[in-house]
Amino acid sequence: MTTTTNRRPTSGEAAAVPPRGRPELLGFLEKYALAVLFVLLCLYFSMSGATAGTFPTMANLRNVLGSESVIAVAALASIVPLTCGQFDLSVGAVIGLASIVTGSAAATHHLPVIVAVFLGILSGAVIGTFNGWLVAHRGVNALIATLGTSTLVAGLVSLYTKNQILSVGIPDSLINLGSGQTLGVPRTLYALVLVAALVYYLLRHTPYGRYLASVGASPTSARLVGLNVSRMILSSFVLSGALSGVAGVLLLARAGTANPQVGPGFTLAALSAAFLGATAIRPGTFNVMGTLLGVLFVAVSVNGLVLAGAADWVEPTFNGAALLVAVTLSTAIARRRAGRT
Amino acid sequence: MTHAEGGAQDVVLRTTGLSKTFAGTTVLRNANLEVRRGEVHALLGGNGSGKSTLIKLLAGVYRADAGGRIEVQGVCADADEWSPSMARSGGLHFVHQDPAVFGALTVAENLAIGRGFVCTATGRVNWPATRRRTAQILERFSLDVSPDTLVAELRPADRTMLAIARALQDQEGAHDGVLVLDEPTASLPAWEVEILLAALRKYAAAGQTIVYVSHRLSEVLELADRVTVLRDGAQVATRETRNLTEEQLVELIVGRGLDRVFPERSERVSNDVVLSVRGLIAGPLRGIDLDLHRGEILGVAGLLGSGRSALLRALFGDLLMTAGQIQLAGQAYRPSRPARAMKAGIAMVPEDRGTEALFGSLSVRENLSASVVARYWARARLQHRREHLDARSLVEAYDVRPASDQSIAGTLSGGNQQKIVMARWLRRDPLVLLLDEPTQGVDVQARADIYEHVRRAVAAGTAVLLVTSDFEELAHVADRAVVVREGRVAAEVSGAELDPHRLTELSYLFKETTA
Repeated sequence: MTTTTNRRPTSGEAAAVPPRGRPELLGFLEKYALAVLFVLLCLYFSMSGATAGTFPTMANLRNVLGSESVIAVAALASIVPLTCGQFDLSVGAVIGLASIVTGSAAATHHLPVIVAVFLGILSGAVIGTFNGWLVAHRGVNALIATLGTSTLVAGLVSLYTKNQILSVGIPDSLINLGSGQTLGVPRTLYALVLVAALVYYLLRHTPYGRYLASVGASPTSARLVGLNVSRMILSSFVLSGALSGVAGVLLLARAGTANPQVGPGFTLAALSAAFLGATAIRPGTFNVMGTLLGVLFVAVSVNGLVLAGAADWVEPTFNGAALLVAVTLSTAIARRRAGRT
Repeated sequence: MTHAEGGAQDVVLRTTGLSKTFAGTTVLRNANLEVRRGEVHALLGGNGSGKSTLIKLLAGVYRADAGGRIEVQGVCADADEWSPSMARSGGLHFVHQDPAVFGALTVAENLAIGRGFVCTATGRVNWPATRRRTAQILERFSLDVSPDTLVAELRPADRTMLAIARALQDQEGAHDGVLVLDEPTASLPAWEVEILLAALRKYAAAGQTIVYVSHRLSEVLELADRVTVLRDGAQVATRETRNLTEEQLVELIVGRGLDRVFPERSERVSNDVVLSVRGLIAGPLRGIDLDLHRGEILGVAGLLGSGRSALLRALFGDLLMTAGQIQLAGQAYRPSRPARAMKAGIAMVPEDRGTEALFGSLSVRENLSASVVARYWARARLQHRREHLDARSLVEAYDVRPASDQSIAGTLSGGNQQKIVMARWLRRDPLVLLLDEPTQGVDVQARADIYEHVRRAVAAGTAVLLVTSDFEELAHVADRAVVVREGRVAAEVSGAELDPHRLTELSYLFKETTA
């Protein structure tokens, strides 16, 4: 009663043609479509009359790269739980929390910068542990659990800061990290490269990354090859929280102030980039290079449009649209790859 | 043989010359089923006898071969044009082994989903009226539960009865239609079976026509008026149950006389026991004893729900054992997690390939290395190149097609997917390999390939515990077999006794030892 398959198949079935590999060109297009689109976009903004004077300048490039580091680190944080099939919607709130924790530890409590930074990252890891415990051990749906912690954290941050921006006493070393350059490259970019290398290494070059992908592909199968599924899920949230903490420290450094309001806004941008990234480079898989490309693509689009004179509505509209297109595309790719067309 | 001559009787359901062929293999040949109004008609047959096919043809799920006819209460059509909607308008109602009720909804809601809610003029659900109607239906089907109870809180037998009530609630006359029950008791514990049978007897007494598919012969004899037996796709007999004994029924199902019903346990003298299980209690298992020898394929036969899969899961640490002793290679072994079992040298190919074994969205290579990822961890990184080379040679050795380790596993055919899962475990050179339905939904060539690899492993010393519901296959492949029944080892056969008929007999014949 459990199978609808013929019990006594004949040689006719054995001869069934195995599914063919996709044509090379299509595979190439799928991998690099986003990259090609990105290059075309850059060319367009460089040549179009409205932006030709402002877009292709070193200053603008530095500005985009410098400020996108925060979103990029947040996006990289979010692909860790996404790889094992879980959403983390608290990325943005943790960014806000970490920037307040680091800021107030250094400015208000006069702790050494290194300790303040550590506390900021630690606060993210703690929230991540809580998320992971809810999802992995209490069985709460990740969307709801992280939405809940996200709102809770934002509330507590606003309670602690009384919604005041913390701008006095942020150590110079942090501000230098945020706005300074080394060899002509914004320093936040070095931090981003470090995080990207770490996440890339973890996901691609360690058994841990493979285990995460296995849990994401099929939790039951993962359990039956001996993996501890709850531990994988829990640890992915801890990592996501800690990396979001790093993003929070970068935000503080970049802005020079700790603003309790801005954190939560990063979640959507991070997820858009992550899902855009899953359509590129290694289609159907959340991957580091794709995610970075996704961040750049959204950033350059918004930047170009703003330079062209578009108003405030551009950013949220574009982020929302990008997320929807990306999710639809990456779902379609994943379905096709799993043979469920 | 007293083939039923239903002429004088009022026949509600009749099939003439019903056949079904899959890819050149006839699984049902010229079935002439006749069900009379108000009778309980049992449908019996071993694994692969064609009874499931017959049910699916009646439901319109499968399309029959041309030439037959189906007729239900005046609705009649050529069998190859029979459709689910015809089955419905003829008054055929199906309730399957898994009753498909919604646990999170109330009894009233479950019933309303079958026919729509009673609504007010404005389209709002009229709860008082819905509740009243539910109460009437519950009374009609003698279900002693409240309309507001959550279905998840019902005992299993009541859930099945609720499914029956949902199927039959729209019959105009109380008992006009034909209720088809497909192994309704297979997953019920013994005491629940009694409750369900009592209810069914009540419906039957009130004149409900029932077609009853079951493996449990004692139930059939107790409940049914007549029985139709299928074997190898052919209709063997239709008999009154009045003068039938269980032994005669088994004879009809198996197709030969019963000379030696109770076997002597074969005493295999061997000191290379790899796995020895004593009094294993876990889930539905009620005290399993068995010995598995080095280089042996031990078949586990049993009917659906006998505990055969649970046995494998318990040995693999995926089902916690509550009592008993296991010795693995002379050491005490008490698996708490699959990871421990793997470390101890056990491998398991689970029953449901799609959801329990395969990583459908990952590549063939990643699927192959899922059991040995840590081996590729060297010099602080995964050795992708070595992994790739190993995967290539496995793909070649197991003749996986397409012959690439980079294809996405979910896109391969069932046989190729299963080869990957087999390769994943056999590459660990396990001490004990647990196979649960390894050839389900697999084509003939792949099946032969799979067993070829099992044999090779066995020759190298691996011991295999093989569960399959295809007894022919089991008799062919296994050196020895145990028959599991009601969570216990009921018999053991080997040598000349190990044939599919014998296994079928034994699976049926051992009486339930009620807890």
